[in-house]
This record gives sequence, structure tokens and C-alpha cells, in this order.
Amino acid sequence: MRILLVEDDIGLQTSLSEILREAGYAVDVTGDGIEGLFFGEEYPIDLAIIDLGLPGMPGMDLIRKLRELERQFPILILTARSEWQDKVEGLESGADDYLTKPFHPEELKARVAALLRRSAGHAQPLIELGSLKIDLSSQRVHDGDQEVELTTYEYKVFEYLLMHPDEVVTKTVLSEHIYEEDVDHDSNVIEVFVGRLRRKIDPQGVINPIETLRGRGYRLNKQSQTA
Amino acid sequence: MSIRGNQKKTLSLRLRLVALVVLLLAVSLGLVGFALDAAFHKSSEAGLKARMESLVYLVLAATDANEDGSITVDDDPGDPRLGQPGSGIYAHVYGDLNEWASPSSLTVDLPRSQRAMAGESQFNVPSSENDFYRLCYGVRFELRDRSTLPVTVCILVHSVELQPELLAFRTGLWRSLGVVGLILVLAQLVLLTLGLKPLRRITQDISAVESGELERLEDNYPKELEPLKRNLNHLLDTEKANQTRYRNALDSLAHSLKTPLSVIRSSLPADSSRKSAAIENSVVDMQHLIATRLQRAAASARRSIGKAVDIKTQVERLIQSLDRVYSQKTINTDVIIEPGLAFYGEQRDLLELAGNLLDNACKYGDGRVRLTVHATDSDDARAGISLQVEDNGPGIAEDEREILLKRGVRGDERAEGHGLGLAIVLEIVSAYNGEIIIEQSDLGGACISVLLKTR
Repeated sequence: MRILLVEDDIGLQTSLSEILREAGYAVDVTGDGIEGLFFGEEYPIDLAIIDLGLPGMPGMDLIRKLRELERQFPILILTARSEWQDKVEGLESGADDYLTKPFHPEELKARVAALLRRSAGHAQPLIELGSLKIDLSSQRVHDGDQEVELTTYEYKVFEYLLMHPDEVVTKTVLSEHIYEEDVDHDSNVIEVFVGRLRRKIDPQGVINPIETLRGRGYRLNKQSQTA
Repeated sequence: MSIRGNQKKTLSLRLRLVALVVLLLAVSLGLVGFALDAAFHKSSEAGLKARMESLVYLVLAATDANEDGSITVDDDPGDPRLGQPGSGIYAHVYGDLNEWASPSSLTVDLPRSQRAMAGESQFNVPSSENDFYRLCYGVRFELRDRSTLPVTVCILVHSVELQPELLAFRTGLWRSLGVVGLILVLAQLVLLTLGLKPLRRITQDISAVESGELERLEDNYPKELEPLKRNLNHLLDTEKANQTRYRNALDSLAHSLKTPLSVIRSSLPADSSRKSAAIENSVVDMQHLIATRLQRAAASARRSIGKAVDIKTQVERLIQSLDRVYSQKTINTDVIIEPGLAFYGEQRDLLELAGNLLDNACKYGDGRVRLTVHATDSDDARAGISLQVEDNGPGIAEDEREILLKRGVRGDERAEGHGLGLAIVLEIVSAYNGEIIIEQSDLGGACISVLLKTR
């Protein structure tokens, strides 16, 4: 999942991007509203965290512009203004949630996870896929009572596919949402991740939740959840 | 208190002016009256004198000097009143040997007169000794032996003779002066009312500024009041600028403190060591202080009794926002507000109060929230509102209610719980001299009733 963080305070920018990266998100960081708009417009962003007091372009305008451009990803407002007047204005401009400074990093992570989940249409943080139980908030996968150990990148791939069930996801899209920069678009790496992920979550090849569509990409079949 | 003082002052200014004018009018009209009266008196006396002179000539014409030095006067010199006893007009003629009195003086005791030198006339007005106007005229009759006989002709007129005339004049004079005086006093009252009107208007406008209905004195006042208006407006502007500066300083202080606090919080190691817990708690305490004290201080600096805020519109904005934030939870909110109900305070305060209460209800309730707002006084929309938020959550235990309502004491959830929201609500309630009650709702959860006074 790729997150855009628009925060002008360098200290907060650094610590927040660290926290988010540790949580397994790809993070694009900027301290400027205009640059934030550029990122939001050009990059495949899954969620934006926007501070309201920004140089270049006020956060509220940035949110409005993004919504005008029909960017539908969830937006979390980050602001020192905790009064309801400001909250209401922020939410009316098109944001989905609101977090006032100072906040607990855990709170931020929980809100981000909840927003991503909501945008994928999952009301609960727990997703069941056959015998698999995926907890999106703790980022743990269980097969029955057994925990399935996934690496960060394996989890990222799995999470993205879970958030886009029954959709064809190309390798390029996967790599874009997993890596911050277009470091390497070598599709082999993605193939390796998917292969490892398949072996781990479905060692016997019973449910085969991730389908390979030759030349197009992958699809996570939701039907297999009930199968 | 101050208003009554103002009225008293205006009244005394008015009374003083009216009293002074009445006094001035009484003195000046009195003097005019006396002068006119005296002038009229004098002119009627002059008229009388002229009449008496002609009588002197009439009597003289009827007088004859005899050879023996006595005089004879025709008993009817030509004026019927001289022949009518007690008519008030009398004639005396004094010769050397004898004298003559007109028949009119038969029943009257006339004072005797001094003889006048020939060619000399004496005119006397009534005095304390007698009540007569008297004109005596001395002549010399030439006898045949070339000797002369001094004769004095006196006409006496009783002072009563002028009285009806004077009386009529005086009555007319004082009556018209009285009418003039009355008209002047009434005119003065009207003038005062009209003249003091701008003063009354400016007083009203100042109290409107005081109550927040006006921002500054914008009306046009007479030239004399313009400096007052200018100075007052200047004072108001300075005051406002100071308030804005103060508010902005507090506001930006409150907000700029939060980013560093966020940095501290997010830089803390994720372990639950005692050290980081202590820092974490202090940060939460500081956040609490900023949210309640500092931000409310900034808010109270901006207080003025503003325009009507439509409660329903604002509540709907809040509910839409809350629906967004709590979209993973289905919340049914019943809103009971009479259409058109207005709040005569700061919109920000209304949003903050209702926002915190509704947020708590959404957070702790189990999907059902009820908001009821009505005016405290159905006759006076400006008096204030009463607002009630209920939910179907676990509610607030009775022994906890008191603790929550104590200023600055938090509930168990330190930063984000009922505690912080309620602490802000309490600050707003106290800023509006209001009341707050925590009860049990028939929905099953907490019922928080708040009363705000806007007058």
C-alpha cells in the first residue's frame, strides 16, 4: 500500500515516514502542497495523509483539488487544529478522517489501516480466506491456529491483492504500490514474491486463492474465501 | 445599573434645562410685564391729564370775576359729570374772597389744594394721603380797576377713574404673557426632546455596541458628537485589534505547540518502558492543557454576541462529518430541533460543544444517538438554548459523573475519551454561564444536558 505523506514539519515528517515504513507501507513524502498535488495526481497512491498548514498550497485546497481531479483514495487530515469547526470544514472539503496533533503513532497506524480497509470495502480488520485468517491491523496471517510467517514484501503483495479482490492486478501495479520509487520494474521480483506467498499460504495448493492470468497479472478470487 | 445611571443623568440634564428656562422666562416676562404696565399706566395718566386740562379750560371759561373781587362759576360748566354728585370728577375754583366747588363734589370730602401761581400748573398723582389726581392751574383775572385777581382752578379725578382701564389692561397683559410663557416652555420641551435626540441615539448605540449588536458607531450624528463618535470608534478599533492580536497569539501558540508534541510522541520508542510512559503521559497532559485552557482562552477572547446561527444546519454538518469518521459503524442519529431555532452565540462554540458531545455519543454509544435542542425561553429566542445528547452505550456511572464534571479532571481515557471532550464542553458551558447535567438516558446510555445562556 502506497501512502502519500504531506507534512511540512521536518521532524514529524521523518518520524512519521519511519513509523509508516516500519508498518509496511510504501511512503512518498513531501513538505509542500503543490508537490503533494503532483504526487497525488501522478502516482498510484492508496492513501494520503495531509497536514492542513502547508507552504505552497493550504492542505484544505490540496484536498479539494485532489477530489476535483477525482482521486478517490482515502485522505486523512493531520492538523494541530482540534476544534470541531476545523474538523467539519476539513471533512467537508473531501477528507475521510481527521487526526489532531499530537497523536499517538499507534492511533495513526490504526486510522490508516481502517481507512485502507474501508476503501477496499472491508468493515472489519479480520479477513477470512478459506482457512486463512488475515488480521489487517496486526498484519498477521493465521492458518487455523498456525501463524503463517510472511516477510514484509510478501505481506505487502498479499495485502494489496486482498484490498483489490476479483480484480486483475498487473505486476507493474503491484510493484508501484509496494515500492516507493520506481527502483526496478523487474517483474521477476514480483513473480518471486507471489510464488513464495502462494507456497506459504497454500502449501497443499488446495484453495489456490491467487490466480495467474498469463500476460496480464494476478487475481485474488474472493469466491475461494467461501469455498 | 449603568443603564439606570444613564437615564438619571439625561433626566437631570433635561430637568435642569427646563427649570432654568422656566426661571428665566418668569423673570424676563415679569420684567416685561412690569415695564409694559408702567408704560401703560403712564400713558393713561397722560391721557387723563390731557382730559383734565381741557376740563380746566372748560371751568375757566365758566368762571367770572366780579368787581368786588369775588368769583362766580356757572354751575354747569359744560361737562355733565361735574354736575353729577359723586361722579368721580370734581372741580374747585379758588378766588381771593370765595371759592367754588362743582356740584359733583357735594357728597365728597375733597382735600384742599394749594393755590397755584398764575400761569403755573401743578399735577399731582394719588398719594398715600389722598386718592385723587389733581391738576391745578393758576390764572389772573384783570378787574376793571386794573387790579388783578388770582384764581386757581383745580380739577380732581378720583383714582378709581383709571382703575377699570388699568385693570383691563393688566388682565389682558398677564394673560397674554402667561400664554407666551407657556408656549415658550412647551417649545423648550419640544426643542430639548429634538435637540437631545442624537444624544439619546448615541447612548442607545453605545449600549448596542456593548451588547454586541453593533460593531462600531456607524450612524450619522450631529457635528458636535462626531469627535465623540470618532474617539469611541477609535477605542473600539484599538480594543478589537488588541483582542485579535491576543487571540491570534494564543491561537498560533496553541497550534504550534502541537507539532513538536507530535514529534516527541512519534519519536518515542514503541516499547512500554517506564521512561517512555512517563514522557507519553506528560505529552498527553500538555495536550489536554492546550486543548482546554489555551484554546478556550483564545476562544473567549473572541466572544461577542453575534448573529443568529441556524442550529439545524450546523448540526447537520456535524452529523455528516461524524458519519464519515464513524463510517465503519452504523449510527442512527435522531435530531429533534424546531426548524429555524437559532443560537445567538459563536458558531464555533456551538460546533465545538455539539461536536464533542455527539462524538462521545458515537464513540461510546452502540449505534443510537439522539440530539434534542430547544430554546430555554419560548418568548425570548435570544435567551439561550438547551441541548441534550443521548446514546445507548454503557452510560456514565453515578459516582463517575461528579468527577467528570469537575473542571480539569479527566475520565479514564486520558486524551481522547469522554474526559477531554467533556473538559472542553465544560469550558464552553462556563463561558456561557450555563449548566450541565449528566443523567441516564431512556436509550440506555448517557444523557448529557447542557444549558447555554446567550443574554
